[in-house]
Amino acid sequence: MNTGEATREVFWNISHGWIMYVLLLPTMAIAAYGIWRRFRSWRRGLPVAGRLDRPGERLLHLWNHALLQRHTMRERYSGIFHAMIFWGFITLTIATTVVMLDHDFGLPIMRGRFYLYFQSFFVDLLGLLALIGVAMAGFRRWKTKPVKLVYSDEASWILILAAVILATGFFLEGWRIVVTADPWGTWSPVGYATGFLSAKFFSLDTLTALHRWCWWFHLILVFGFLAWAPFTKMLHPLTSALNIYAANLQPAGASLKTVDFEKAENFGVNRLDQFTWKDLLDLDACTECGRCTEACPAHAVGKSLSPRDIILDLRDTLHRKGGRNEPDTGLIGSTDALRPERLFECTSCAACVDACPVSIEQLPKIVDMRRHKVMEEADFPETMQQAISSLEKRKHPFAGTESSRTDWMRELNLPHASEAQDAEVLVWAGCGTSLVKRNQKSIRSLAELLKKAGVKFAVLGRDEKCSGDVARRIGNEFLFESLAKENIETLKKFNVRRVITSCPHCFNTFRNEYPQLGAPFETFHHSQFLGELIKAGRLKITAASERRIAFHDPCYLSRHNGVTEEPRALLQNTSRNSMRELPRNRRNSFCCGGGGGMSFVDEPPDKRVNRERAEEILATDADTLAVGCPFCTTMMEDGINAAKGDRGIEVKELAELLNEATSGPNPI
Amino acid sequence: MSEPVSTVITALISPTQERASAGLMGAGQRLSETVGAEHVVVACGPEDSESASGLAHGADRVLLVRSPALVRDRQEVWLQCLTRMGSELNPAAIVLGNDALSQEITPRLAHRLGGASIGDAQTLTAEEGHISITRSVYGGKAMAKVKLQGTPAVVWVRAPSMDPARGRATPGQIEEWDFATEPEMKIQLLETQMDAGEGDRLEDARIIVSGGRGLGGPEPFEKLKELAKVLKGQTAASRAACDLGWAPHSWQVGQTGKKVAPQLYLASGISGASQHIMGIADSKAIAAINTDPNAPIFKHCQFGLVEDFHQVIGPLQEKLAELLA
Amino acid sequence: MNILVCLKQILDPEVPARDFSLARSHLQADPTCADLVTNIFCENALETALQLRDRHGGRISILSLGPASVEDTLRKGLAMQADAAFMILNDTGHLPDSAATAKALAAAIGKLDRLDLILTGHESGDWGAGQTGGLLAEELGLPFIAFVDEIEETGPDRLILRQQNDSGWQKFSAPMPVVASITNSDHNLPRIPKIRDIILANRKPITSWSLGDLELSPDLFLPEHLLVRVTELTIPQAKGDCAFIEGATKEEKIGKLAEKIAAIARSI
Repeated sequence: MNTGEATREVFWNISHGWIMYVLLLPTMAIAAYGIWRRFRSWRRGLPVAGRLDRPGERLLHLWNHALLQRHTMRERYSGIFHAMIFWGFITLTIATTVVMLDHDFGLPIMRGRFYLYFQSFFVDLLGLLALIGVAMAGFRRWKTKPVKLVYSDEASWILILAAVILATGFFLEGWRIVVTADPWGTWSPVGYATGFLSAKFFSLDTLTALHRWCWWFHLILVFGFLAWAPFTKMLHPLTSALNIYAANLQPAGASLKTVDFEKAENFGVNRLDQFTWKDLLDLDACTECGRCTEACPAHAVGKSLSPRDIILDLRDTLHRKGGRNEPDTGLIGSTDALRPERLFECTSCAACVDACPVSIEQLPKIVDMRRHKVMEEADFPETMQQAISSLEKRKHPFAGTESSRTDWMRELNLPHASEAQDAEVLVWAGCGTSLVKRNQKSIRSLAELLKKAGVKFAVLGRDEKCSGDVARRIGNEFLFESLAKENIETLKKFNVRRVITSCPHCFNTFRNEYPQLGAPFETFHHSQFLGELIKAGRLKITAASERRIAFHDPCYLSRHNGVTEEPRALLQNTSRNSMRELPRNRRNSFCCGGGGGMSFVDEPPDKRVNRERAEEILATDADTLAVGCPFCTTMMEDGINAAKGDRGIEVKELAELLNEATSGPNPI
Repeated sequence: MSEPVSTVITALISPTQERASAGLMGAGQRLSETVGAEHVVVACGPEDSESASGLAHGADRVLLVRSPALVRDRQEVWLQCLTRMGSELNPAAIVLGNDALSQEITPRLAHRLGGASIGDAQTLTAEEGHISITRSVYGGKAMAKVKLQGTPAVVWVRAPSMDPARGRATPGQIEEWDFATEPEMKIQLLETQMDAGEGDRLEDARIIVSGGRGLGGPEPFEKLKELAKVLKGQTAASRAACDLGWAPHSWQVGQTGKKVAPQLYLASGISGASQHIMGIADSKAIAAINTDPNAPIFKHCQFGLVEDFHQVIGPLQEKLAELLA
Repeated sequence: MNILVCLKQILDPEVPARDFSLARSHLQADPTCADLVTNIFCENALETALQLRDRHGGRISILSLGPASVEDTLRKGLAMQADAAFMILNDTGHLPDSAATAKALAAAIGKLDRLDLILTGHESGDWGAGQTGGLLAEELGLPFIAFVDEIEETGPDRLILRQQNDSGWQKFSAPMPVVASITNSDHNLPRIPKIRDIILANRKPITSWSLGDLELSPDLFLPEHLLVRVTELTIPQAKGDCAFIEGATKEEKIGKLAEKIAAIARSI
């Protein structure tokens, strides 16, 4: 046969095909109305910069995470079935477009090899994959039933509709092939098999009649689906794609907004129109997949915080008359998920943000609402109030500490920045390091390492104030700004441009947040800086240990800033044994429970995040847990001590481990 | 040296406990001897002549104030009575205890007599014609010596931690002091509520077991209570623990809480900030249980155990119950 | 009801021991060794006043005596929603000078409208003499109650004040005006101000008087004129001779500890 002639008859067996075109109009109108409604509600949000710039990077992001489904694929089962359904329907939509171009626009493309390879074989195969994908989704929804899903009728109907549309498509194809004895029929193997089997039970006349009815049924289902979709989460192919395009391209640690206290009418968010348009688009981009809540450490230990439900409840409020029908008392507290005590369970670890396949940012919304509670109402947990009070009075959150900021420097003779004009770099200790006794050992180790390597560095001593991270995460942006400005002024006064810190929270603030206030610094986490010293040969490993080291990635290093390999490179040097990886590592690290001001909150003993993590660590054969954050050090030491029983495991800071193992040209 | 004065008055107006009264008597007696003055003890009387004769062993004179109006809530009555006594006896000093009423009237009495006042004296001496005291200041970070440049010096002292009076060979004279005046009572007592707590008030307790932030939660404080019961003592807490809501504020010991002076203060999970030490410095013995051997509390301890409280409390209580049975 | 709350600014009592140092005179702490904060009992007093106003209405004035830096204390008081702020400028240092302080406060009070209630903290976190409230009452010739932790208004001219005492509490009915010194309780923890109020507080006027404006002698605070004078100030060194209980096993150590404790318990 001449494959060049291969094609099929469009509208075979169908009379009054024009009705389809007539139906298309209202379908499109309803769908357009649905989309317009959503679009209109996003426009109620405030303007936000930096969401539509850099189109090249954004298109690449879209390519990776929408088209290639890379983020969705991080979870295997759902990633696979979603990709099957997604690519299946994309292919079917292209196929339908090909039919339209050929039949209605007279472009003879549905011919020959293209017809056989793509329009028949490939489309048939992808349709089958989509059908299998829908079956897998159904299996999950109705059989395995993971808790993270939302079990709504809407979601069930969407699956049923998709299954019926796909199945009827195969019937239509099969019956046409068998009735017309299509010579190219075997190029559509699934359709061919369907027709072949049907012919065993029904006469060709019956199949012809069935085909006619089924064609209209299929058409109505497809059009119905198209019209209904914008009113359901099935708008997500559009909204999620837009959201991925408008994603935060900065590190997650840079996602909090600044507030202009001179002009702002409200501090924080308690009404939808206090969010930005991107925040509102986030709400409609949600596919209810539940990965955020599943990743949430607070949720994992039995607290009630659920980032998914926060997004969904905000979305539902937005959908009620376009959000104009908001509760009089404001968003916070209007639903269970939005109860203030839940908002204050967040450790700001950004696991939710990182888990979201469609670039929704839950964390900044939680902080926005915290801001309202803290700044507008001054109503937030008492122990956090104590931290804030201490920050106001003493510029550090550790109320009642007996340590001085200079305690750790005892006998080290470190020059103050004011008297060390030739210093290469400033060591920023941070409150969590200098004012918590346990952590003074870590920062001393860092100072000793730098001395060994002959690095000229300075410190600020009592001139150092809290970087502002704790205030900012708790929601007191005003206090953050005043602390930040005070620090920036001090650093400028002493001409500081390069900063090393062993605290990932300070690191994040210096790297991502001080630039928002017009003060960029070249910032290093000590793992980065020390790594460079080893590479440059300024530090030499002379006494590697036999430790079996596991590394607990700090959230503010890994997820917030993408720094995961430097600490590992460092640690691998310190021991002759190979490193142990925790089950949840790198960007997937599980929070110690100490971020977001939570280390100042007294958690109920059965709902402590550090306990959950400690148990994960104790299940490995590591004998040393390496940490790279003062909050993690204390949280993990407490957690492990409470959970370890007889198992010996030591919590050591990166610099402590490296200091044990190295020597350098200079004596300390 | 200014004009010689002849009297030191010890005002035992609101005794809370034997030990506090004894310490106050001792403080007054020693001061009177330093100054070379007569020691006059003022007490409420005369219902209990037996205790009055006890007082006479530490005083040159005991004045038992006879007035139907003198009861605890009558701040104004005591103030007028002591003011009159002060103007008549022209004392070098009036020494009061650390009970609430004494603390309340100290400044007012000084003002009315044209003297100088101060509170919370830990030692009491006389130098160059003036009364001097020492007291802990700046949240326990410094010790100040303070000279009272007005006469009389009206001072309330940390009575329970002071040594009792030396017994005299011949008891002093017991007199009655009629105070018939009933001043106009601007302030009226409406209601009195005693604490539900058993035993001594914290300031007077002989054994105190106390917990801090290191206990990690509210539950261990229940165990502290049981331990206190075994020791017939009282429970207390650091400010951090009270602020976290693990213990009621009435348990709080330290600069902004109670100042205690037990025979034994056992601190568990308390690191020992100076503000806390300020409240316990008068304890006869301080002991601590803490996981950190470098915790500042150990610097103030006679003995200490470096262990986790949670693993110690159970066996410790059993062992003590056995030893004290 | 017109309430006045006296607020004292002090050196942070929580200054870590290592940072604490004495001024060159050795008669007071080095004022730069720590942050300056509002005395906590004064904040308790302001909170008590605010709660009273929340329930019964009225007007709260705040008054502070000290160097120019007391403005920070007054701004914080305004942020907590005090209605008006007054300061007496006095640069003679942070000495324990309750009698002179009471005189100066009384002179300032003479300049204000009639007050119904005057509150002070029951003592300060620096010198902690605990005398100012009582002395102020005497200066003004008003009744006084110490250790108050709750206040209720009962009628046009009377208040109920709850006093913490040695064994519980007592409630007194007092005529207005009255002076009370406030202690802390679970109910008067100072509120955290709202940010908007902090911003607005920075724009509010503060009336400032010199000692001369109040017809007080400029010598009022000279040490030789004070009734109470610091003659020596030392930083005590902890003995650090703790006998750590040793033992081969935990049980042994606990046993030894129990015996030491029991010995003391038996001696009582």
